[in-house]
This record gives sequence, C-alpha cells and structure tokens, in this order.
Amino acid sequence: MSVSDPGRGRSLLWTALLLIVVFAVVPALLASAGRSYLYQVANLIMIFSLLSVSMHLVTGVAGLLQLGHAAFYGVGAYCAALLATHFKLSIGITLPAAGLAAGLVAFLVALPTMRLVSIYFAVATLGIGQMLYVVMLNWVPVTKGPNGILLFGGLQFLGFDLSKPAPAYFFVATVVSVSIYVLHRLSHSYYGNALRALREDDQCADAMGIDTARLKLESFTVSGFFAGVAGALWAHTAGYISPADFNFNVSILILSMVVLGGLGSLPGAIVGAVLLIGLPELLREFKAGDYRNIIIGLVLFGAILFLPKGLIGETSALDLVRRQFGRGRSIPGHEGGVGWK
Amino acid sequence: MSEPFLSIRDLGRAFGGLKAVDGVSADIARGELVGLIGPNGAGKTTLFNLISGFTPPSSGEVHFKGRRIDGLKPDEIARAGIGRTFQNLRIFPNMSVFDNVSVGAIGAERIGMLSAFTGRRGVSERISQRGLAALQAVKLIDDAEELAANISYGKRKYLEIARALAMQPDLLILDEPAAGLNETETKALADFIASLHADGMTIILVEHDMKLVMSICRRIIVLASGRKIADGTPAEVKADPAVLEAYLGGDDA
Amino acid sequence: MDYYLQQLVIGLSLGMVYALVAIGFTLIFGVLNVVNFAHGEIYTIGAFAGLLLFTSFAPPLAAVILIVLAVGALAGVGLERLAFRPFRRFTDEASLKSRAMREATLMSSLALSIVAREAIELIFGSQFQAVPFKLLLNNPIKLGPVTIVDGDLVILGTSALMLFALQYVLKHTRVGLSIRAVSNNALGARYVGIDTNRTIAWTFAVGSAMGAVAGILVGLYYGAIFPAMGFSPGIKAFVAMVMGGLSSIPGAVVCAMIIGVSEALSTIFVASVWQDLVAYAFLIVTLIFFPRGIFGGVRERV
Repeated sequence: MSVSDPGRGRSLLWTALLLIVVFAVVPALLASAGRSYLYQVANLIMIFSLLSVSMHLVTGVAGLLQLGHAAFYGVGAYCAALLATHFKLSIGITLPAAGLAAGLVAFLVALPTMRLVSIYFAVATLGIGQMLYVVMLNWVPVTKGPNGILLFGGLQFLGFDLSKPAPAYFFVATVVSVSIYVLHRLSHSYYGNALRALREDDQCADAMGIDTARLKLESFTVSGFFAGVAGALWAHTAGYISPADFNFNVSILILSMVVLGGLGSLPGAIVGAVLLIGLPELLREFKAGDYRNIIIGLVLFGAILFLPKGLIGETSALDLVRRQFGRGRSIPGHEGGVGWK
Repeated sequence: MSEPFLSIRDLGRAFGGLKAVDGVSADIARGELVGLIGPNGAGKTTLFNLISGFTPPSSGEVHFKGRRIDGLKPDEIARAGIGRTFQNLRIFPNMSVFDNVSVGAIGAERIGMLSAFTGRRGVSERISQRGLAALQAVKLIDDAEELAANISYGKRKYLEIARALAMQPDLLILDEPAAGLNETETKALADFIASLHADGMTIILVEHDMKLVMSICRRIIVLASGRKIADGTPAEVKADPAVLEAYLGGDDA
Repeated sequence: MDYYLQQLVIGLSLGMVYALVAIGFTLIFGVLNVVNFAHGEIYTIGAFAGLLLFTSFAPPLAAVILIVLAVGALAGVGLERLAFRPFRRFTDEASLKSRAMREATLMSSLALSIVAREAIELIFGSQFQAVPFKLLLNNPIKLGPVTIVDGDLVILGTSALMLFALQYVLKHTRVGLSIRAVSNNALGARYVGIDTNRTIAWTFAVGSAMGAVAGILVGLYYGAIFPAMGFSPGIKAFVAMVMGGLSSIPGAVVCAMIIGVSEALSTIFVASVWQDLVAYAFLIVTLIFFPRGIFGGVRERV
C-alpha cells in the first residue's frame, strides 16, 4: 500500500532479473551455442509462455475452464499467414490484425456461451475449438488444408529485416514481454480481483454488483486476442503453419502449463511453459523425443494429484511472500509497479 | 407521505404449486432497522432473494428509492444500493481478506478493464479507501493480508458484512448473521449492528435468534407460510396471537 | 432414394456405436456428476484388445466380444482407481458432486487419456493397424434395393442385445439397483448400507465394457484401428449425453441415433470431411438453447 512497501521493491527486483535473463543472459547463451535450432526452441518457449499466461487470465484468474485455446492461437496464425502471403504485409500489420481477428472470434464465441457454468462451459469451448480446427483442416481453398501454409520473405518490421535468428528472438521477446506485462496488470489489479471473485463464487460476485457476464466476455476476448498475437509470432518465426499446430492436444498442452504452474499464478504459467516446452526438447537431446506427450500427460496427472496448487500456486505464492517479508502492511493486489506477486 | 425508501407490493413467488412467498407487502423507511422473523420454511430467505434479484418474483413489485427494481439482475440491484450477506457464509476463500472486501467496492465503482492501467490514481484509490474503511469498521484491518480461508468463523461473519459495507449500500440486508455464533459473539454482533444503524444505515435483519432481533429492532415483521402475519414493535409482535399460533402451532413441519 | 436409405442404415449403425459409448458417459455422470474424459480411450483399448486377440488366437467374433467386455470392465475399474478415487476423500453428497471435484477429475481423466493414447502409440505406432481382410465386417448384403454390409447387422444386433442386457442389469440385479440408488441419492444409498466406492467401480466397469465393445465393432467395420480413434466417438457420445439431458440413458441413446443419422445424411449435402461439424453444432445448439437436454427434464443450472 504505502510507497515504502517492501513487497513492491522485491517485485521490481524480480522483474528486472527476469528482463535481464530474457534480454541478455539467454541471447548470450544462444549466441555462444551458435545453433539456430536453439533459437527456435527459445522462441517457442516464449510463444507458449504468452499462450499459457493468456489462458491463465481466463482459467486461472476468472476460473473458466478453457479447452479450446489452441483454436484462437490458430486463428491468429492463419490470419497472419494469409495476410503475409496474399498481401505481402509485414508483421507490423499482421500481428495486431491476428490479435484482433482472434479476439473477435473469441468475443463471438463467448457471447452465447458465457451463461454456461463450470464443465458445460469447458465442453462448449472444446466443441468450438474443434469446429475451428475442422475448418482449418478442411477449408482447403483458403487454408490449404493439412498441407499448411509456407511463409516466404522472413520477418520484416518497419523496414528492418529481422529474419536472422538473433533479431527474431529479440522481436519475439519484446512482443511477449509487453503482452505479458499487460496481462499481468489485468490480473494483478482490482479488475483482476473482480475476475477472481467470479472464480470463487459468481453468484456472490453478482450480489456485490459485479457484472459477471460482462467480465467473462471481456476476459475471454482479451485472452483470445493475446492467443492470436502468439499465433502471428509463431507463423512468422516458424515460417510454416499447419492445422496440427492448433489441435486439441495443443489446447491441453497449454492447460497443462497453467495447471502445473498453479491455477491463478501468473509466474506459475510461465514456469509451466518453460518446463513443458523445455523439458521435451532436453529429452530430444537424449533421443527421447517419442516420450514427449506421454510425459506431458504424466506431468499433468501428477500435478493434479500431488500439487493441487501447482508449483507456484497463487496461495502458496502469497505464503512465500509472507514468510520472507514478515507481516507487512502491504495490501496484496495493489502493487503499483510491474512485478509478480 | 412521499415515496417510501423500500416498498414491497404484493410480492409473491411460487415454486411449482408451493407458494413460498404469498402476497407480502411492506414499506421500509430510510434509517429503519427492521427484523424479519418466522418459523422454518416461512419464506424469509425467499423474500430476501426476491428483493435482491436472485429469484425473480412471480407476482408483485419492489420499488427502491423511487425506482422499480423487481426483474432487474442481481448485480443491477446491488449497484442500485442494496448490499446483502448470505445465510451460509459465502466469502471468497482463496482471496485475502482485503481482496474480499475490495470486491464490494469494485462492484459499486463499476470498474472497467482500463482501470488496471491507471495505477493508484482515480478509481483504484477510491476502492482502496472504501475497502480499508470497511475493514476498519469491522476491526479486521490487522487481518487484511490473511487468506480469507484462514481466519476464524466469527471473523468471516464480519468479513462478509464488511464486503457488503464496502459497496456503501443504502440498504443492508443481513441473512441470519448470528447463525453459528455463541452467546457472547451474538451479543457483540448485536452491538455492531446497532452501531451501524445508529450511523444511519437502513438494515433488514433476517434472524432466527429471537433475543437478538427483539433486543435491537424497533420494528419486526413476522412471516409464516409465505404470508406476513404481523408487523409492529417487539411488544406488539410478542402479544400477537397469530404469531404465537405460528410459532407454537407446529408450523415447522 | 436408395442412396438415402443406405445412408440411413449406415447412420443407424453409427448412432448405435455412439449410443454404446454414450451409455458409459451417462452412467458415470449419473453416479458422480463428472465427465470421464478417458472414456474415448477405453473404446480404443477395446479395439486394440480385440485386434490382438484376433491376430493371435483367431477366436470366433462372439468370444472376442465377450473378452473385450471383460477387458473394458477391467480398464474402467483401473481408470476409476487412478483418476477418480484419489479425489474422493469425502463421501458426502456435496463434496462427491462438487464443482472442484468435477474439474479435478475432468483434468485427471484427461491426463490419463493422454498417457493411455500415447502409450498405445509408442507400442503400436500412430498409423492405422493392419486389420486382416477376412476379419473386416464389410461383406455386402443385398436387401431389396439397398445394399448394406454385414457389419451394419452385427453392430445393430450386438448393440441392441447389449442395451437389453443393460436394462436387465440395471433393473433386476443387485449391482444395477445399487448403481441406480447411488445415482439418485448417494447419501441415502450409504445409509441403507450400499458401498459407494464399490458401486462407483461397478458403474465404471459396466460403462467401460460397453464402450470397449463399441471400439472393436467399429474397428472391424471400418478397418480403422489407431491410437487416436477414441477421440471423435468420445466427443460425439458426450454430445449425445448432453442432448439427452445428462443422466437419461434412453435420452442419450435416442440422441446418439439422431447424431449418427444426421452425420450419415449430411454427406448428401457436403463432403464427408465436414461431417464432424454436425455433432459440434448439435452440442453448441443444445448447450445454448436446450440446457436441460432436448427432451427437457430437471437439471441444475448449467
């Protein structure tokens, strides 16, 4: 609450550390390793961090179990890829366009399904995600069906050529950091508290004068928007997309990241993404790539059974803060600056 | 007389063939503390849900501050200025005490997404102030950071009231606040409700604990089988044969 | 006209298969109010178990169906042990059917379904399994103007038989009565001495047995046995359950038939790759416009 709030200083420190890692340490390591494949892995980790943090807003904070997130990721990716191949547009335009397209689709999906609660909402998102997937797979004249779309021309932004691995990495890192910052502000604010109230007890939130339907709609749309942004990043950095990148398994992968990190915890969502993308890649180094999905399944199962609050559950994170800083007078959820709670 | 503060006109609600609330009318003036009592199954909670919009009425009207509010959604009614608590304690267990209370203020301020980016200025500042004031009022300020699930049962009761107070409602409806409290705690709660009333809050108190209602309410409405059977001072109600009949005549079954 | 009739028959046998899978969903939803996401994998396990039996021992079809029933039942009990029972720490009605419980078990069954599917894929590979040609239920039979295959008859016959058997089990056996008791009132059932855990395990056994048989029947009908085969019928059966009003077995069966027939008839108008959209459209329309299922009936807030 007060300016001398110790928690705030700590969170600034954490943010600074994270930014140093993302913008200095990792690129330095990547450059010394000198393998462009590792840049791809790093980009994938960042893109999935954005996907899991955007799902965190809907599933972790607002408590709406979302089983079709990959579809919005796909809408963004296809939107960006089509604009880039047909109109030769650069990522400066395709990125926001992809976000808006995915956000619009999410809004249209949310409009009729918002009054569904709990698993019925989850199943509706699954159904809609599958419908979008079927469209990507079979609307051959536009999406080229299972063959996917190749993007030529590399990554251009404001006339700069970012197609080399290192500039592309910095571009992805910047977009993902800004996006996650926005999502962080949304979830760690009074607006986020309103969303948490929905998760805890939506009828009770109603009685507090909270317009639950509007909040669900907004959070779902924003989450879709950032999934679309992630899709554009993927399309432009990978240079090739196909429907298999956006099927049900990918939705489950993103959900596993959120659950593993701890529902409701934004740093947890990032940790989940780093682990679930990074570990299988590490395993690939040891020629164990075949076990990737089975490990994801086991990790998800283990997380639900043994870590109901995840690695960095929201509540356990709070406890951690308290243990470290004593019982200060700071009011959680009202930090002014950037930083993780 | 001008338009009454809260006016319930011939309000009714049937579930299937059963009339849970059957043609209840009552006017409540600003600043009143009214007790609502009745045997089990008398329709107290249903009446409550009709006023706060959780159950749509099948007949009748509710007017609040000159505006018709029946048929509105619960959140619209809450923003019109009616705060409520729930019979079976419904706090947000995985949020801190302060965050719980902030929700009341958030609802009343009707914040939008952009408020998340304005930092401490403007609406966020007002929400903090309201939340802290409400916690101060119920003396929970020292537990502000505690997880709501970790505080004692008695404190949770006050937390729920504080959350409703943070809405700065014009009318506060308390649904059995003393349920589960021991005698000392009930006494303290009675004093607290009385002090809220003394500060000018209009309160409707639904309560099982007769002693609590009789001690602080100057007006009592008695429901039985969905109908209003008495409305008057504690002395009048106690002497009313219909009330005695309702309580002793085995209406509980 | 003949084409329509032919599609109708195909749709009916497709619908019967969905019905067999949907019954498992419905039974399990009835006792626990949870969605068992691994139900589709039971169907896959049934198909693989059947294929293995055929290729190693070449027993008659009826024997295979009986063994697959047993395999499905065992798989169901194992699934319940791993993905559902660990979360059932309290047995009162409220926590048995609570929202947290539903979401935890939804995700745990989802996780196990991934593990099962991937394990099958590691062992057998992700592609279609070679089904010996003579096993395929694909021999044409001429019925007046319509040509169907013997698979249609086998599926319709076996399914009908199993539906009657299920009715018998539910109405006239001790296990069936306790399943119905627990699904009506779990607490009450406990008070009259029914072992809830046992009954839930039985429910999984009965429901999974039917799903597993559906798997082998379809595998032989289409000759398509592969690790991810359970996903699509699983979703469609789920849709049938939702349309049927969640805990009504006749409702689920009728809706499964509606979905099967609509899918088969949809190929008259659009390319068959789009037929999956039919079930998803049914799902969304049902959830939005008929939250109590298309036959109405009592249902909590959805």
